[in-house]
Amino acid sequence: MSSFLHPWVLLGLPLAAVPLILHLIQRRDPPTVEFPAVRYLVQVTQEHQRRLRLRHWLLLLIRALLILALVLAAAGPSAPLREAVSHTPSALVLVVDNSPSSGVIVAGAPRLAQLRTAAHRVLERTTPSDALWLLTSDGVARRGTPADLLAAVDSLQPTGRRMDLGEAVTTAGDVLRSDSRPGSIVVLTDLQATALSPAPHDFPVVVARAAEPAPPNIGLARVDAGAQPWTPEGGAVTVALTGDSGTAPVSVVSGDGPARQALVAAGGAGRFELGGAVPGWWVVRASKAPDELRSDDEALALVRVAPVARVAWDPGDRYVSAVCDVLESSGRLRRGAELNLGSLGPGLSIVVPPVDPAALGSLNRQLERRGAAWRFGALVTAPGVSDSGALTGREQVVRRYTLEPLRPSAAAGVLATVGGAPWVVRTGDVVLLGSRLDPSWTGLPLSARFVSFMDAMINRIARGQLALLSGAPGDAVLLPDLVTDVAQGEHRWVVEGGAAFHPPAAGAYFLLSGSDTVGGLSVNLDPRESALAPASEDQVETLWEGSRVVRLGQAPGAAFAGAGRASLQGPLLWLALLLALVEVALASGLGRAR
Amino acid sequence: MTAPAASSRPRLDLLDPRQAAHLAGLELLTEGVVEGFLTGLHRSPRRGFSVEFAEHRMYQPGDELRYVDWKLLGRKDRLYVKQYEEETNLRAMLVTDVSRSMAWSGDAETVLSKLDYVQRLAAALALLLIRQRDAVGLIAFDETVRSVVPARARPAQWHQLLATLNALTPGKGTAAEPALRRVVDLLRRRGLVIFISDLLLDRETALLALKFLRHRGHQVIVLHVMDPAELELGGPAEARFEDPETRQGVTLRPKDWVDAYRETVLGVVKAWRRACRASGMQYHQITTDTPFGLALRRVVGGASGQT
Repeated sequence: MSSFLHPWVLLGLPLAAVPLILHLIQRRDPPTVEFPAVRYLVQVTQEHQRRLRLRHWLLLLIRALLILALVLAAAGPSAPLREAVSHTPSALVLVVDNSPSSGVIVAGAPRLAQLRTAAHRVLERTTPSDALWLLTSDGVARRGTPADLLAAVDSLQPTGRRMDLGEAVTTAGDVLRSDSRPGSIVVLTDLQATALSPAPHDFPVVVARAAEPAPPNIGLARVDAGAQPWTPEGGAVTVALTGDSGTAPVSVVSGDGPARQALVAAGGAGRFELGGAVPGWWVVRASKAPDELRSDDEALALVRVAPVARVAWDPGDRYVSAVCDVLESSGRLRRGAELNLGSLGPGLSIVVPPVDPAALGSLNRQLERRGAAWRFGALVTAPGVSDSGALTGREQVVRRYTLEPLRPSAAAGVLATVGGAPWVVRTGDVVLLGSRLDPSWTGLPLSARFVSFMDAMINRIARGQLALLSGAPGDAVLLPDLVTDVAQGEHRWVVEGGAAFHPPAAGAYFLLSGSDTVGGLSVNLDPRESALAPASEDQVETLWEGSRVVRLGQAPGAAFAGAGRASLQGPLLWLALLLALVEVALASGLGRAR
Repeated sequence: MTAPAASSRPRLDLLDPRQAAHLAGLELLTEGVVEGFLTGLHRSPRRGFSVEFAEHRMYQPGDELRYVDWKLLGRKDRLYVKQYEEETNLRAMLVTDVSRSMAWSGDAETVLSKLDYVQRLAAALALLLIRQRDAVGLIAFDETVRSVVPARARPAQWHQLLATLNALTPGKGTAAEPALRRVVDLLRRRGLVIFISDLLLDRETALLALKFLRHRGHQVIVLHVMDPAELELGGPAEARFEDPETRQGVTLRPKDWVDAYRETVLGVVKAWRRACRASGMQYHQITTDTPFGLALRRVVGGASGQT
């Protein structure tokens, strides 16, 4: 973008119209002169009129351009340099894409090695008066001296965290806005098409990409263990592949059990039946034959194995009875006394409000005697919608009782809400529902998800297993309320229930509530990392208007181009001089009709 | 040996035409011009005709030495030159353009109009011819034949011609053909036709008529009289230039067209000269700031074989 030292001088640009105006004024009523030899003039003008007319217009144009050039020169214009040899003190955010795809082997070395070399060369051109930041896939912009950042670049390794380049550019822009120096953003990347996203920016962006094409790649996109918990008889795992065309042999193993193998096509999925296991938590691992990108060749899923719940329910409760029949027929529950569904029993109980409001007081007293931290409160008849969460979607709630905590610490047991108010809570071995499972209270019994909701309530929630979550490294995973810790092997993170947890790497994580394991978190690579196809320059320039795409080798030269500005005053004055000379030549003998 | 003193009277034939016109009226001017011209000429303007010795006169500066009578110098120790008198009965007709364009002058303060110039030049030519005892007549024309004076050799003829020339006023358009046809009626024998015009006329038609005269055996001299301002284009920065005869006009900036115009005019002159020469006619281009003596010298010199 050009800028001007004295922009107010540009108000003189209309002066360029002066030659035309003078020309039009002079054209009016020329004097008449008697001249007998007009016949010679007619003869001459017929031969030269076109050339003379062209010359007149050319003269007008040259005079207008001359004025324009002088006015622009007086305004003190300057323009950014395409390649800066030296630069004024600047602010630079160096974005190095060390996402999993940067670990792909190209020409015998990881792609990240090329990016590191380019980062070195960019940082070598910095000066002590520059402000520098390094932004990598962890999303944190680290400020430092050139030496600090060189050391940081040297220690960079491909991580499991996906890097959204649009977010990175946005973050870099936010950082640069805090500095008064002219800023620019340099992105060193393999430029995966899947990593691009729109990014509004007001700083020059230079995208330096690798020249070599990306190798073909197939990666594991998903490992799905289906409905949980598994019974001790075993279960099935679905493994999906993504990437370029072809097939790959996939192997799936659970714990120490035998591996199951099959050929799976890229873009397709394979189903693997796994044998029985003793109750507990199991890690199911899937792997495929290695290729140039190793990090997407393995994935995992957490599986909970437990015997199906033995449930007692009121056969007179129409909707509860119907769903229990379905679950029983599909082997997801048995009749028994382990769990009381609908009313408060001696053991695990899922309690709904009684039909008769007069019985509510008695129920609350029984709950209090059981040590429950929640009780039923007032009846709410204003229609509402349940808040979408891990347990429920957005269900219509016509009537409900408020659920009231008896102690402040009980608030951690909320499993579902309506308009922010507790609707399903767990306290000890009791789960309270604010509404009866009847269409006159909630639309849930009539929805398709009622069966899975009841399955989760009976087999997981009531038994203390709150959630089986999945995510990718670095993603924000929302934890259930009761979770107090996250554990992976010996490593343990103290967390706040209801808050987000960012798993640092791929692997199996267990969600703990005190000393109880209440859930699991399977963290696998983002499947978008397996698509190595790069974006085109047009795509980049469309998404990031005004950006410039160069090869990695050109990055150092282009890095500070935004800060290097050249004055256009000299060239404009030379142009004005040239125009003046041409004007004089045309207006005098050179342009005369001969 | 001492040369005789030169006359102290101004040589009207060598003065600027405008200045000369201020000094004397048409008659006196013409006589002065011819006197001066003959004084400097010393030989027959028509050397091609038979000539015989007439008299001696005193040498004057400018006389050619080959006419000095060396024998007389030996006897009397004084310089005399020999003068010759032609033996002729030539009939000449002056055909003069008096159209509106002839009344134009580029600068009336310093230059005579073409018509004024032509009046004086024609009178001088007539006097010169009459003094050689040739018969001289006059036809003035614009779109039509305006005045006709048949050719006569008597001395009173010159005064009649002067009166006719004096009475000429600018006419309208220009058409030379009727005047040149009239010449055929008036010159039965072979004679001399001097066609004086600014030649702003239909060239092909005029040339055809002139060639016809030449075909009839007449000697034809074409005098192309031009104002200096017609050779070099000038004027305001931008102007509409209008033909006083046809009112045809063209608007332009003179400084843009100076060179092209000059080339065109020179081309026209060249075309006239080439056409006349091809038909055995003499052509002389004279500007109105040319002293009459020089103009006469060119015409007379041309008539005697010099062009």
